[in-house]
Amino acid sequence: MQRRGLLRRLLAFLALLAGGALPFGISRLLVPIAVADPSHLRPPGALADMRDFTAACIGCGLCAEVCPPRCIEFYTRSGGGAVNTPYIDPRASACILCGKCMEVCPTDALRVIPRQEIDMGIAKIDRDTCYPWLDRGVCGACVTVCPVGNKAINFEFANIYRPVVRDGCVGCGLCVEICPHPALAIHVRPRVA
Amino acid sequence: MLRHLNKLRLATLTLIFAALILLPFLSIYQSYRAAYAYDLLAPTEQRLYDAMEWLTESFTNDPAEDLDAIKGTTWSASIFDLKLSDPLAVVGQIAAGARVYSPFLLSALIPIILTVLLGRFFCGWVCPATLLYEINSALSRWLRALGLRSPTRHFDLRFKYGVLAVGLLLSVATGSIFFAIIYPPAIIGRELYYAIALGGFGAGTVFFALTLLFDLLVARRGFCRYLCPGGALYSLLGRYRLLRIARKVEQCNDCTKCDVVCEFGLLPMRDGFGQECNNCTACMAVCPTDALAFRIALTDLPAQGAGHLGRTHLRHGAAHTPGEN
Repeated sequence: MQRRGLLRRLLAFLALLAGGALPFGISRLLVPIAVADPSHLRPPGALADMRDFTAACIGCGLCAEVCPPRCIEFYTRSGGGAVNTPYIDPRASACILCGKCMEVCPTDALRVIPRQEIDMGIAKIDRDTCYPWLDRGVCGACVTVCPVGNKAINFEFANIYRPVVRDGCVGCGLCVEICPHPALAIHVRPRVA
Repeated sequence: MLRHLNKLRLATLTLIFAALILLPFLSIYQSYRAAYAYDLLAPTEQRLYDAMEWLTESFTNDPAEDLDAIKGTTWSASIFDLKLSDPLAVVGQIAAGARVYSPFLLSALIPIILTVLLGRFFCGWVCPATLLYEINSALSRWLRALGLRSPTRHFDLRFKYGVLAVGLLLSVATGSIFFAIIYPPAIIGRELYYAIALGGFGAGTVFFALTLLFDLLVARRGFCRYLCPGGALYSLLGRYRLLRIARKVEQCNDCTKCDVVCEFGLLPMRDGFGQECNNCTACMAVCPTDALAFRIALTDLPAQGAGHLGRTHLRHGAAHTPGEN
């Protein structure tokens, strides 16, 4: 008799666990894991490790609400465990490095760090596409728009048209946003250590 | 006086919901201001700009900066540099990251203290989903008038503690904060922002619609009572709350109006409040004899028996009423 009582309590406990897991299962089914778009950047000050970032971000949306250029978007219908976390797509709208999102974030997902320490990625110029590198014209838009300046991007030595990315680049993506080439001759990619 | 508290509560809920709709529009307006872009806007955008300017110009000198004063949702908000977060967000983050980030923990301190003192007040007085759930309950009453079966299924109230425990385990196992995607107030705040500022609802809206259907067809306020992990956390925190609703047995006439009106299916007329009661005061508002009032105590009154103005008490006399001095 005692064993049967124990079994019944165990079954009730398992039913409780299964019932408790049900809403999580349904909501997870609604957000399938999509292939990550390499152009998506995390906002400035984000924890470097993506697992740490997902574990720290509560998905409150404050970073996007204070963003003046409204460049911060969210994975709303996909992303699996990273659903509702913020990203910036510089092809649509890029970060202006104002730092408001770092200040407003209630968690340590975005930390307040000095501008030169921000690491959203590093710009890469596609020399087979960029107009000055192909000698197809004069541009320099990326160099002009860069908020960091000479430490991040300037012109190749002895050439005043061909842009070259330097180590000081913080990956804000303003150069991507402004690039006049239809296929975009510059991209921001994660910095390889 | 106390019977008007329910109106105050509904006004508070409406105000919070309206704020959650207004804030994304203000955010859009701020970005227009920051870009000095009025002349570049489409006519509809200009109308939005004008409306928001009309709303805010008497409070702000520099809208792009000053309107940052109030931001966020009930999940996490920043109000005049005071950061407030939902305790469930903090608990979930601690579980997911296996570490404590103290500034974030502190942002939940005021809500935690209030919950310890007032119980599940968040569920009745703040939660933006509550407004929609109560409208949904009214809808189910109308459907019953049309002849549909009313949602009367009952489950074990302890299910929600299972949801809380499973959510914590899943957060620990996967390293992402699982409560954020099933917790209705977090969903509402976020999805309103997505819909207004990002131009499209996310997956949370589908989940929230499912919970509405569950409430409408299966169990009245079923999600809040049986499944909500936040409700579970606040029930636990508010178990020994100080502010309680209690029945004055001398004034009760056993009319059962309070038992019927209680959205959470509690039984105020039989002194059945417990940790589920969120002090919403709906029962006070319907009581015809003002027999329900607040009481400062750590526990509910034990069952007091039939009300002294009721038929049972009048017929059998005071001898059959326990708790009578």
